[in-house]
Order: sequence, then C-alpha cells, then structure tokens
Amino acid sequence: MGPDSAPDPAVPWRKVLWERQPFPDNYVDQRFLEELRRNEGIRQYRYWSVVKEAGFVGQQLSCVAIFITLWLYMEQGRLSPETLLWTSLVCALLGYGLYQALTSQVEPGCGPRTRLADLQSATIFLSFTFGFSPVLKTLTESVSTDTVYAMSAMMLLAHLVSFPYAQPSPPGSLSLNAALFASVCLASRLPGALHTFAMLSCALLVFALWPCLLQRLRENAPCQFAGVCLGVCIVGVGGLGFQSPGGAVLLALALMSVTLLCPLLLVRLQRHKDNIQGPWDEAEIHEDLSRFLH
Amino acid sequence: MVLKVFFPQCCNRADSGLLVGRWIDGHDAAVVLTVIHYPFIPGQVKLYVQQMQAQSRVELSVLGSWSLPKEGQEGMESFLRDLSTIFPQERWLQISREIGKTGFHCQVLQRDQNGRAVQQEPKKKKKKEEEEDGEAEEEEEEEEDDEEKVIFVHYEQRKVMLSQLHPIQNGVPDPQADPPSELRQVFQTVAHSDPLFFMDKYDDGPLKSTHWQTEGREASIIVELLKHASVPVCLLVSWLLSVWTWICGMRIFSLYPLRFLSTKLSTCVQLSYRTEHMRTLSSPKAAAGHTEFMRKANILVSFLVDVALGMLLIWWLYRENHISMLANTLVPAADHVAKELDELLQWLMGAPAGLKMNRALDQVLGRFFLYHIHLWISYIHLMSPFIEGILWYGGLSACFGLTFALSLLSDMVALLTFHIYCFYVYGARLYCLKIYGLSSLWRLFRGKKWNVLRQRVDSCSYDLDQLFIGTLLFTILLFLLPTTALYYLVFTLLRLVVVLFQGVLHLSVDFINSFPLFAVCLRICRPYRLAEGVKFRVLSEEPGTALHLLMEINPLKGNTVVQTYRTPTYSCYPKDSWAALVKKLFVGELIYPWRHKTTKTD
Repeated sequence: MGPDSAPDPAVPWRKVLWERQPFPDNYVDQRFLEELRRNEGIRQYRYWSVVKEAGFVGQQLSCVAIFITLWLYMEQGRLSPETLLWTSLVCALLGYGLYQALTSQVEPGCGPRTRLADLQSATIFLSFTFGFSPVLKTLTESVSTDTVYAMSAMMLLAHLVSFPYAQPSPPGSLSLNAALFASVCLASRLPGALHTFAMLSCALLVFALWPCLLQRLRENAPCQFAGVCLGVCIVGVGGLGFQSPGGAVLLALALMSVTLLCPLLLVRLQRHKDNIQGPWDEAEIHEDLSRFLH
Repeated sequence: MVLKVFFPQCCNRADSGLLVGRWIDGHDAAVVLTVIHYPFIPGQVKLYVQQMQAQSRVELSVLGSWSLPKEGQEGMESFLRDLSTIFPQERWLQISREIGKTGFHCQVLQRDQNGRAVQQEPKKKKKKEEEEDGEAEEEEEEEEDDEEKVIFVHYEQRKVMLSQLHPIQNGVPDPQADPPSELRQVFQTVAHSDPLFFMDKYDDGPLKSTHWQTEGREASIIVELLKHASVPVCLLVSWLLSVWTWICGMRIFSLYPLRFLSTKLSTCVQLSYRTEHMRTLSSPKAAAGHTEFMRKANILVSFLVDVALGMLLIWWLYRENHISMLANTLVPAADHVAKELDELLQWLMGAPAGLKMNRALDQVLGRFFLYHIHLWISYIHLMSPFIEGILWYGGLSACFGLTFALSLLSDMVALLTFHIYCFYVYGARLYCLKIYGLSSLWRLFRGKKWNVLRQRVDSCSYDLDQLFIGTLLFTILLFLLPTTALYYLVFTLLRLVVVLFQGVLHLSVDFINSFPLFAVCLRICRPYRLAEGVKFRVLSEEPGTALHLLMEINPLKGNTVVQTYRTPTYSCYPKDSWAALVKKLFVGELIYPWRHKTTKTD
C-alpha cells in the first residue's frame, strides 16, 4: 500500500497521471515492488583472471622502475651509452619480429602499416633524437636538479595514472607525452650528448613500443602474456635491488598489492554489491553499443 | 492662459509708437523687436514691415501700441485704440508706461467677429484708481470670461541677436518633427531680423524707430580692410594649394615605398592634414552656417597660433647657435644610449636578477644584439658630420608651425631609435613564435587539436612519431621560453619608452590641431555668444502689476565648448583599449605608435 490510505477500493488504480482518479498523486498499490530488479547484468569476477588483467598494471609500474634503473646506471657511468644503444637495437629488432609474427597469425599480410612506413617512422625518431640531443643536453643546465627530479616524478606519475590499460595499442597522448617529457628531463642531466640520445631511444622503446607489443601478446597469446608480465616485474624489482634495496622492497610491495591484494579485495567486496533497478530509473537508451568498442 | 511678451530692454524708454514684432506660432507669446515712433503714415509703416519681412523672412507684424506719455502728451487712449483698426490683427497689445513707475500697463484687445476691436479686461494696473476703473470695466464687460495674464520678459536685444542657442540645429527642419521650442523661436526671430536694426536715428527716412542700434551702427575699419584683403589672399592660397596638390599627385609619389613611408612619417601626415585645413580655409564660399563658420574660425586661429609658436621656436633656435649645441649633444647622447644598451646586454648575458637562463641561447641572442649595436654605432658616427646640417634645415620647418617641428622631432626620434625598434621586433617575433608553438603543442600534449572549421578544440588521435616529435619540441620550447621572454620583456620596455615619448609628441600636435581656440576665446570674452539656455530674474513683482522678468543668457560650459567645436581630426589615441594592449604585449604582437587616419566621429 502507498503512503496514503486508499479512499475507494472499488475503482481499480491505474499507473497513469492523465486521468483523474480517486487516489492521491503519490499512491501506489502492492504491485509496486514487483518490478524491482537487483544487480542486473553483473559479471562474477574470478580471482585469477582479475590477477592476470592486473598484471598489466604491475608490469607498467615495473617498466617505469626499469627505466629509472637504467638512468641511474647511466648517470653513475656504469652503463655505457654504446651498450645501451646496441641492446636497444637488438631488443627493438627482436620485438619487431615478434610483433610481425603475432600479426601474421591473425591477419596475414594485410596490416594497416607497411614495412616502409615503419622504417620511415624509425628514421624520423632516430634522426630527430640524434639531432636534438645536443640541444636537449644543455636544456636543463641552469635548472636545479631537484626541480628536474620533481618534474620527472610528477610526469611519470601522470603517465602511470593516465595510461590506457584497457586499450594500450595506440598509446594515449597524455600518458606517452608525460613519459617522454620526464625522460627528456632525466636525459638532459646525463653527462654527454650520446647518453641523451641512448636514453631517449630507450624511453621510446619502453614507453611507446613495448605496450603495443604487449597488447598484441595479450590478444593472441594469453598464456605467455602472464609469464611476460611476471618476468618484467621480476626484472624491475631485481634491477632496482642492485641500486637501492629499499626501493626494490617498496616496488615489490606495490606490485604485490596491485596484482594480488587489490583483485582479492575486488572479488571479496563484490558480494556486498547491491544495485537496485526499477521503473523509477531514468530512461536508458538501449542501443547496440558494442560497435563503439572496436 | 498667460501671454508672454518678450520686450527689448532698449525700448524701455522709447517714445510712444507702434510695437513691431512677431507672434510665436503655437505658443501664447509675442516678441517685440522695435518701436516705430509717431508721427508716421500707416501706409509707409505697412510697406516698411512688408519690406523687412521680405528681407528677413520673419513673419513681422505690428503687434500693438506703446505709449510713454511725456508732459503735454495726454489723451492718447482713444487714438491708440483706433490704431488697432488701421493695423488689423487678431490681438492688439496696448502697452503703456508712466514716467517714474517701473511696471508697464498692458491691455489686450481681441478682435471679434465683426472685425471690431474689443477691449479685454485689463489685468495689470499701477494704481488704485486704475483698479477701480478696471472693476468698473469688468462690470461693463462681464461676458468676457477669457481671462489673460501678461508676463513681461525683458531681454537684451544685442546679446540675444548675436548668441547661438545650443545644441545647434542644422539643416532644413523636418516638417514632421516637433516645432522648435518657444525659446529657440524667440532667438531665431531676433537673430534673423537684423535688417530691421539697420535704421538708426541719423537716417532721414520717413520712419523713426528704437532698437538696440538706434545710436548708430558699429563699424571697424580694420574689419572692413581685412574683409577686402581676404579675397586675394584666399585666391593666392588656393592657387598655391593647387600647385602643391599637383606635385603630390605625381606618379612617382604613389609608388609603393614612398607611399608607405608617407603614411608612417608623422611629418607627411601633418602636411596632408594642414593642406586639408588650408583648403577649407581658402574656399571662396562664405561659411554656410554657424557650425561651419566656427570650424573655419577655429582652424584659422589654431593655424595662426601654431605659426606664432613655430616662429618663437625658430627665434630661440637660431639666436645663439643653439643648433650646433643641440647637434653636439645629440651624437654623444646616441652614443651613450648605445653604450647603456651594450651594458644591458652584457648583464642579460650573465645571470640577470639571479634568473637561470639557458646559457647557450642567451649567448647567441646576446651576441646577435651586440652586433646590431655595433652596426648602429658605426652608422651614428658616419652620420655625425651631417647632423648639424640636418638640424639646421629641419628647424626651418618650424616656420610652417610648431606642429611641423614636433612631427619632425617625432620622426627623428623614430629614426634615431631604430635599433631599439629592431631589437623589439626580433624579440617580439621570437617570443610570438614560441607562444604560438607552445599553445599548439600543449594541445598536442593533451591529445587535442584546434578544429579550424568549428573554431573549437577537438580531441584527436595522433601518430606515434607526431607525438614524439611534438613532445620533444614542446620540452625544448618550454625550457627556452624564459630566456626569450626576458629578452622580449627588456626590449619591449625600451620600446614602450620610445612609444610613450612619441605618443606625447603626437598628442600635443593633435591638441594644437584640434583645440577650438576661437570658440574658447569667444566663451571667455563674449560669454553670451554661445548660449546653453536662459535664466530668468524677477525684476518687479508687486501685487496687482504685471510680472516683470529679466532674461539672462546662460553661457555654454567650458567642456561642452571643447566637445562641440573640436576640429574633427584623425584620432591619435591608441586603437586598442588597455586590456587589448596588454593582451597584445603578452602574446607578442607588434605595437605601433602610428596614427590611424580614421576621422573622428562624434
């Protein structure tokens, strides 16, 4: 029964407002709650699948850690720029081969980009970076080191926050730009122009190309994807461990909480989800939204 | 209803006679212009009034009679009343005054249907007896219920005739519009009826009259001589002008660089402006209206004052070899400015004010500007032997007026500070480039772009290489911005000092050109000539007599004089508002002190 008592039960009540009825305006009968629906369209998460998805976040965190580790090694002079360059080149070629292999499995030979375009892009990257590296080297000379560190930290944080984890294949503008800005800032503190060039090439590899490859891997080889994520995390923690054990411990804790604890919490708390829907909701547009997802 | 009679003060003591004037249309008022004395022949009076009406285009008529009885002149009442039948009018005023009394006595006679004048109840009386008489008459004519009061407004005929009521109404009055106000009609009537005032008491005509010029007409030999001399002078000036226009119209002057230069050099602008002035002055036609007359007079007086000031300047310049003194101080001053700039640049190339600048860019910019200063000093030293000659011949231009000398000075300042202008342009262009680059790269940084078609910021997915290069450039521009901005700031400040100086010069030139000196002098020496309105003062207000008011002219306010009569000129005020100027400075657009040739609109 509604809030006000029904004065005349002889006339049946209808849920319309355009007729004058012997009921108050806020009257409803007992059929009201029949249309109540709870937790409509809910997806039951399973713990390990969530952990696997969260692995992407963890590995991105580790990538930032790996980049910082490399920079630390470069700054201390324990890693020569030539070594980094050659390693980067080899990694890039291997990754490119893998990428092509994964692409050809799905859609053989009709990719959106040709090899020539890829070569063109690579030439542009390398020539611009090489040309600008002396300028970049002197760029932050007069800026204090603390300012540079603070700016880089902020930018890397912005990169992590704004990274499009669901769809990283065309890299998000803000996240990539923030990461590149941070790497330019960091690279400009290095002792030589070649160091800067090597560091920027490495940044390009880590922040721009690696997520594309990983996304392709996630789509085409989900079993190997988990292993790769785990490997990246281990490399990140291990590499940082050589430089600062405290930092490594912190990173490991962060990775654990992101990949293991947060999914656990999500799955646990899902039981308490109580979402009610009914005819009182505002209208929804029922349209096939799936075509917007691709 | 109240009948207002505007009565000239000069007719207060006139001999008895006929009042000639005009009934104001649409208002219950009459303007008395003159008194025609006895004896006269009515036919001649009618002829005279018709002639005057034709000359002055004012609807003149005989308003009534005026009597100021002297000893031995009595018993005119009936005669005066009979006059109304000779000059048939709708209403007939019968004004009389007695010696020793201040107030007037007025009777209004209405013409009835039969064409016979009917005396109306007299309203104002001087004496008890008259009042009693009036009561008696009242008893006689009780059926006359249309009571009419009379107010006398005394006005000074000469001042009202010469004054111009503001705001000025020009052109043909619109028939649909409201008719002009009563006061304006009074002023127009008095101003237009000056043919009536030409007759004075020395004339041997058949009629004698009293008005403001009764004692004889004002005349001045100098004015007459000037009037005669002005015609050949105007002809000569217009011939010279035509020659000058012919020279200016030659094809060589319309070629691109010369034309561009002539619009930018303030001397050329002033020259064209003065040519236009002289063309206005030397036109053979007389000024059509009051506004045009005032404009011409203002231009003439400004021109004369300008030339006089210029002559004063010449007298000072060429008296004790001031020219060479100036030339001898000018070159060291320019040298000194260059040296100061050199030091400023050296300071900027270090760590100015503790700011951390990009060292490499700083050095490059500093050396670039230092090289410019070096060039500049060589140029000045090359010029130094000729500077005295330039000054000597340039000083002669002051005989055309002080404005020419000031414009020339402004141009010389512009030429002597050309290096500052160059620095400013380089700095501003560089800064502007950086600002625009940064703003568009900042959009790229956020993954947005400017949609030109829809004039808004849209999101956009960039390629990897675009993002990479954009971010690289963004970082570089961002870290180099402070250095450029500092150079820009310093040179803009220098430029602003120069612009300020030139602006002061331009303002003073514009002030001399456009200040309505004649109107201001008129306002000071003859305040009644420019009237804004009138005020009334009560002369006598005895109970039982007519109200006597004195109309005095309110002179126009000083700032209204300047606003109304300012010579329309190209405005040299900055084109932009202050906010727009600050925005321009911030974005790095160039600012110029050049005047814009848009005529002033009010």
